[in-house]
Order: sequence, then C-alpha cells, then structure tokens
Amino acid sequence: MMQQPAEADALFDAARRRVKRRERLTPWLMMAPALAIIIVFFGLPTLYMARMSFNLHPDQRLYVPGFTLEHYLSLLTDPLFTGALWTTIKLAFVSSIFTVLIGYAFALLVWLQPAKWRFAFIALALCPLLISEISIIFGWWMFFPKNGLLSYALLSTGVIEDKISLMYTEFAAFVGLIYVTLPFCFFILLSIFDGIDKRMLEASADLGAAPFRTAWEVLLPLTRTGILVAFAQSFIWSMGTYATPSALGPDTLWTVGYMIQEQMLGKHNWPKAAAFSMVLAVGVAIVMMFIRSLMWKRTSFHA
Amino acid sequence: MAEAHTAPDAPALELDRIRRSFGNVLAVDDVSIDVAKGEFVTLLGPSGSGKTSTLRLIGGFEELESGAIKINGARIDHLPAYQRDTATIFQSGALFPHKTVAENIAYGLRMRGIPKAEMPARIKRSLEMVRLGGYEERYPSQLSGGQKQRVALARSMVVQPTILLFDEPLSALDLSLRLQLRSEIRRLHDEIGFSAIYVTHDQGEAMAMSSRVAVMNKGRIEQIDRPDRIFHAPANEFVHTFIGESCCLPIRLADGKAADLAGAPLALRLREDQADGDWRLYLRPARLKLGAQAVQTENRLAARIHFIEFLGDFHRYHLKAGALEFFADQPGDLGHSIGTEIDVGWQSADMRLYR
Amino acid sequence: MLEDAQRETIPPVARRRPDALLLRALALAFMVFIVLYIAIPIMITLTMSFNDASMIRFPILHWSLKWYRDFLGSPQWVDALGNSLIIAIGTMTISTVAGVLAAWVFERYKFPGRSALYLAIMMPLFMPGVVLGLGVAIAFGGLNIGGFAVYGSRGLVMLAHSLWAMPLVFMLMEATFRIIDHRIVEASYDLGGRPLRTFFEIVLPSVSTGIISSALFAFVISLNEFVMALFLTDRDTQTLPVLMWLSLRSAGTPRLAVAAVILASAVFASLVLILLWYIRQLRKTSR
Repeated sequence: MMQQPAEADALFDAARRRVKRRERLTPWLMMAPALAIIIVFFGLPTLYMARMSFNLHPDQRLYVPGFTLEHYLSLLTDPLFTGALWTTIKLAFVSSIFTVLIGYAFALLVWLQPAKWRFAFIALALCPLLISEISIIFGWWMFFPKNGLLSYALLSTGVIEDKISLMYTEFAAFVGLIYVTLPFCFFILLSIFDGIDKRMLEASADLGAAPFRTAWEVLLPLTRTGILVAFAQSFIWSMGTYATPSALGPDTLWTVGYMIQEQMLGKHNWPKAAAFSMVLAVGVAIVMMFIRSLMWKRTSFHA
Repeated sequence: MAEAHTAPDAPALELDRIRRSFGNVLAVDDVSIDVAKGEFVTLLGPSGSGKTSTLRLIGGFEELESGAIKINGARIDHLPAYQRDTATIFQSGALFPHKTVAENIAYGLRMRGIPKAEMPARIKRSLEMVRLGGYEERYPSQLSGGQKQRVALARSMVVQPTILLFDEPLSALDLSLRLQLRSEIRRLHDEIGFSAIYVTHDQGEAMAMSSRVAVMNKGRIEQIDRPDRIFHAPANEFVHTFIGESCCLPIRLADGKAADLAGAPLALRLREDQADGDWRLYLRPARLKLGAQAVQTENRLAARIHFIEFLGDFHRYHLKAGALEFFADQPGDLGHSIGTEIDVGWQSADMRLYR
Repeated sequence: MLEDAQRETIPPVARRRPDALLLRALALAFMVFIVLYIAIPIMITLTMSFNDASMIRFPILHWSLKWYRDFLGSPQWVDALGNSLIIAIGTMTISTVAGVLAAWVFERYKFPGRSALYLAIMMPLFMPGVVLGLGVAIAFGGLNIGGFAVYGSRGLVMLAHSLWAMPLVFMLMEATFRIIDHRIVEASYDLGGRPLRTFFEIVLPSVSTGIISSALFAFVISLNEFVMALFLTDRDTQTLPVLMWLSLRSAGTPRLAVAAVILASAVFASLVLILLWYIRQLRKTSR
C-alpha cells in the first residue's frame, strides 16, 4: 500500500537523518582509541603539569597548591638554571650543525652510489635507530676512558705514549649526541636527494662547473628545505635528551632535561620540574610549528 | 526502513532530476531516467559528460545534491553504498587481490547472509555462466584482463541485485576481447533478463547491447531512445554529430530558397516552414547516392570527386560542390575516379538542419 | 664503488683534474669514517660481552660466556628483560590498533577539525621523553583504582610509550593507505560490506606489510625507551634499559654489554621474523 506523499517524505527524511548521524559518528568511533590516548596521557597530563608549575614547593613536601611564578623566574634568575638553559640551547645547536653536516655528506654519497651499495648503507644507517640510546651510551662509555678502546688503540699503534681519556668531555658528549640524531637527519636528506634528477648534476658538469661549484649552486638550493627540516628535527631531539650528555659529558654539562629529572627524582620538587618541562615543551612545539610550515611550503610548492 | 514504499509494478530504477556538482562544474544536471525491469539502458557520452558520475550516484559512491533515486519504487538515495541493492562492475574489475576467484564471488553472498551450504553451488553456477568453470581456486593475479572482467561480472551477478551498474567494464581490454565480451554480456542479458545501466563512450557497445541509449553531454541527457531511433532520428545537433559519422554543410536560407554561403543556389527540397538564416545541414555519408544511383533521390548536387580513401569495407569519396565540402561512403569496388564530375543525391528524410 | 659514482657525475675531462681526484679521496675517507663511527659502539659492546674479566678494560685478555651466564642467572636482570618484552608487546598492540584505525579515518572520512586533530595526534611524537614521562608521572602518581596501583604498573608505561609509538604508526599508515586501490574498497561497499567489515576484510589484508612494519617500529621504540620508563616504573616493573641506565650510573661491568647485546638481539630477531614473513607473503601473491 502506498502512503500519502507528505507522510512518505517525512518518513524518508527521518530515515535519512538516522543514516547521516551514523555516518558522522563512524569516524569518531574509529578514532576513539587514538584520541583517548592523546587526551588522557598527553592532554590532561600537560594541563595538570601546567597547573603544577605554579604550585608552591615547601621543604619536605612534594608541593602545596598555590600560585607562584618563582619556578619560571628561577630559569631566568638562578645562575644554575640559566646556565642549564643556555647549555641546552648551545648543545642542541652545535650538535645539530654537525649532525646536518655529516648527515648531508653521508646522504649525498649514498645517493651517488650505484644501487647495489645503497641497501648496505641504508642498513648501516638504520642500526643506530634500532639500538637503544642506553646501549649506544654504553658503547661510547667503553671507547673514551683511560682504559677504553681509543686509548688502547692509540697507545698500541704508538701515536701516544701515555694513556689518555676523552671521557666526560664535551667532545664525548657531542660524539654520542650526533650518533643518536644522525639517522633521522640522514633519512630525511636521502629522501630529498632521491627526489632530485641526477642528470641535473651532469648538466652542470657538462657546462664546465667544478664539482664543488655544482654542489654549491645546484644541490644546495634544491636541498635547502630538507636541510632546515633535518636541522630542526635534530635540534628538537637534542634539546629534549639528557641521558647522553649527562653520561658522557662533564659534570658541568647540565641540560634542562637533566634538571627536570634531577628536580623530580632527586629533589622531589614537582612544581619546578613541571615548570621546566613546560618551558621545554613550548620550545619544542615552536620548533615543530617551524618544521610544519616548512613542510607545508614544500608540498604546496610541488602541488 | 523505506521498504514500505516498494511497489511491485514500479520500474527497477528511477532517477528523478538528480543533480551533483564538483566545485563549479555541474557534473550531473537534472538527470531523469526510468529503467524498467529487464531493461538495459546505456549512458553514452564523451568523457566529462557526467555518465560515470551518474552511475556513481546510483551506486552510492557520491552524494546527491538534489533529486531522488528509487529502486523498485522505494527511495534509496539516503542509503550508503553497502545498503543499496545495486552491484557495480568496475572498469578495472576491482577484484580483491588477496582472495581467490571463489572467495571473491562468495564475498557478496556472505555479506547478504546466504547460508554457507548454498555457496559452492551458486559460485559454480555463476562461474559457468561467465564460462570460467574450474577457475575457483585461482588468484586474480593469475587471470588475464578478460577473465578478470568475467569474474567481476560473476561476482556482481551472483548477488542478484535489482540493477547491475557497468562502469566502462570493457574499456581496458583490446578490441577482439571487447567484441567477444560485449556479445557475451548481451547473451547473459537475454538469458537472465537483469536490469542494467551501462556506461560507455563506445557507440558500438551502446548500439549493440542496449534496450535504450541515453546520450549525455555536459551533465545533461540530450536524448534517450532506442538505438535505431538515436541513430536515425537524433534529437539535436550534438546527438547527430556524436553518433555515427556525419557531414556538415553550412547553408543559407532566404525566402525558402537554399544557397551555399558563397551565394550559389542549391536545389534542396526543404520543409516549407524553415526560417530564413544560416543553417547547418547534416548528412550521413553512407546514405549519399552517387552517379546513376542519385537519379531517384529528392535532393541532388553536382559535385567533383576531390580524392578517394579506401577504408576496407567501403570507399570514401571526398566531394566538392562549389563552396561545400563533404564525403560519401560507398560499399563495394571503386566505382568512380578522382576528378570526375558526378551527381550526389539523398532523400529528404536523411537530411537534418540545425542552427 | 666510488669510481662508478664519479663517472656518472663528472665528464672525462674533469675526471683527470686533480680536484676530482682529491674529491674521490675525500669521499672514500668520509665513507670509512662513517662506517667506523657507526660500527664502533656496536662492535665494542659485542666484543666486551664475551670478556672474561670483571672490569671494562682493553686489551681483552680472556674470552668467555661468563657474563651471559651471569645475566641469565640474575633474577633482577631476567625480570627486567621480561618487563621490557611485556611492555613492548603491549605498546605495540595498543599503538598499532589505535594508530591504524586513526590513519584510516584520516584517509577515508571528512570531518570537522581535521588538521587540528592531525597536529594533536602527531604532537607527542616530537615531545622529549622527559616531558611526557614527567607529565604522566605527575598526573597518575599515587593513583589507585580499586586497589590497583596505576602508578608503577606496566600498563601505564605501555600507554606512555604509545605516545611515541602511536603517532609513528599513524604517520606510516597514513602514507600506506594513500597508495591503496580505492576501487576494491568501493567494490566491497558495493557488494554489501559494511565499513568495519570492509576495513578488516579488504583494507587490512592489502596493507599488511605496512602494518607489520609499523608494529615493528612501535615494538622497537618501546623496547629501547628508558627515560619515560625511568619516571614510571618501580623496582618490580623496571625495564631492561632502565636497569642498564641505573647500573651504568653506579658502575659499568661487562654485564651491561651482555644486556645491550640481548636487547639488540630482541630487536634484530623481530626484524628477521618480519623479513621471513614478508618473503613468504611475496611468494604467496606471485604464485
């Protein structure tokens, strides 16, 4: 039996609304686990940490609720913390520059290799990614000291006469730090190089340009964005890490990350740890936005 | 849900002024078609004419902006693709690569809750229908292009949808395979009597298979009719030029007399109510008579053979008559030579005027 | 190997020029340097794990498996390894499920707030472990649900590790989904496959390689992580990297080298398993 048109339309609209509602709900249901993790274990803790960073920290207590800016101000006034902030930035900056230099040369040479060598080098570059930072630290920890491999190797080849130790130096810290950040940088740059037509180099060489000049005038402009992204990436990483510099570097090499751990686990000063953490998080977020805007420009340029 | 509206005598599919745009482009513009049960309707048009978009709207892969789609009299345009009683045969076949032929065919049956016990028999029957009996355990990567399309056909037919949707299923195949599969689809339609909408840009396919052809252009249906009517009585200039081959002669009418654009008079027998002005006269080259055969015709022109092409089944004579240039296709052996002055004639019914 | 590369880029005239030769020598030297740089800590650790002495000292005079026996005989270290594996498997499961589903939504659906959500999901991947660890520790410190101490539990570490692992899976899977053939998805809908059914029966099997690879990354990240775990574990749930970190701070022994080797073996063993699976998969489809 056919219904009246108006009634049929009303029924149809109701059915349509039900279907629409279900269709709108499906993506949210499927995203629910991911969003739950982000909200409960990242969003809420960050808000909680932000609140914590203004709490008071009397002696013998973790914290008492209150409102003070002293933890943030101490980063600017207390020479110990100002030094840590400065050390962190300096360390991240210098190690990122070297990471990009080494990573660039590595990626460039792998890109120029015939395909049969490529896999071997990529596997090599994957190793530091797959090995725990703690194992890497320990590896260098056995390399640098007086009784370490370096000293033994130099001594037995007669380069030096007495045992030496490079352990607990800034050099050792940089060696460890660059080791950890290098693979990220390498893979970012290699993917950029892979997007370049190798014939462009031949064209430049055909025109009589010397290799260095080719690199400078052809490759560098093409890889500029990649360099910046790789730099920012390794900057973020080295800004947040503390294990490598504190284990391999000198006692004076205190980074913000180390301070956070020290305040939290050593001094049980939760508000101060939270304040430092917030500063670090905001710093990282700013660099991340910078990367995103670079990537965005890159993709919009290609589209 | 909407099943309450189902009417037993309703068409299999009704499109009621459906519309869809992408950005500024109106891809489907007020398209209305009824497909009766057992009817095979082809959407024919150049690329970008909206035929595939129309099919995707029916299948539920695009959302309607306005209008209504009914299957068996019940509206279904609010339903997602998986709740519509349609089945599409895609251009690429779109077989599931990780499933065997039998698993591919079983998929739709399983989704419809067909008992497991019934499946092997139904799969076997549908494979035999497309002449692929014994191919159950193969993977799609082990099939040729034509076999893939047969499996796709079996996979869609086995669920017995109210309407089958063909999305240029033969366009990726080579010519001989295309002809073979085309007649097989036709045979299956005659045997089973399914209702179908078939999208193609190939007129041969459209003509050979369809109950009716809808010629589409710029999102609209220009004409929908039987294939022979489309060919012999095109509704407008677009259909005339798109279907089959045609010659176009620009002419001018003044006081009911025809002349070419240079002013030379033409002896044409036109309907008397044609308005004065510039017109385009269309002729089918195969309907033109040459020389002695032209004596009996209603319209005649004196022309000169400009050059001749041999096209296998026929010769194409390129003709010049004053300022007019056109060509006539004649079957059989070469009957005339280049440079010959010759009469060209045609019946008034074979002539169309547009402006 | 370098000759080939040079020949590709430098025409015959230039190849004979002295600066081209210098360049070739530099390139070779650099490659030697980079291979040594990456290999040194790995080789030292591997060598040291077979040392017989109880001090880290070169040269190594006697070789033995003594420290492997020592590691396996110590309940504290074996438990830590167990914790690490349990947490890594948990993290892998959680973040693969959540990340794959979310990536599919971003590939297939339109919804409001898309780019903001993308940023929100990716953000933790860029955050230092110390920030994430501290946040979770402060927020969940001392939390008890029905007598179960959330803080210090393995579950909390899994979820904290998922803050890194899940965005990574999400990122990799988003790229993987972008290259799947959408016709087969439509074909499944067309035949009556509901979205979830389609997802599990049609979509997932065709991206299985991508899923397995991202699951491996999630596993590795969690297995190796120790900064978050340091904040979030207690003596009973300590992971192997945490125990290594703590004992490195007190005194380094060859036992640490053994621990490093075992940790890396777990990673490479799973890598080999996946390669085998992948080869089998290749054989199956190209049969």
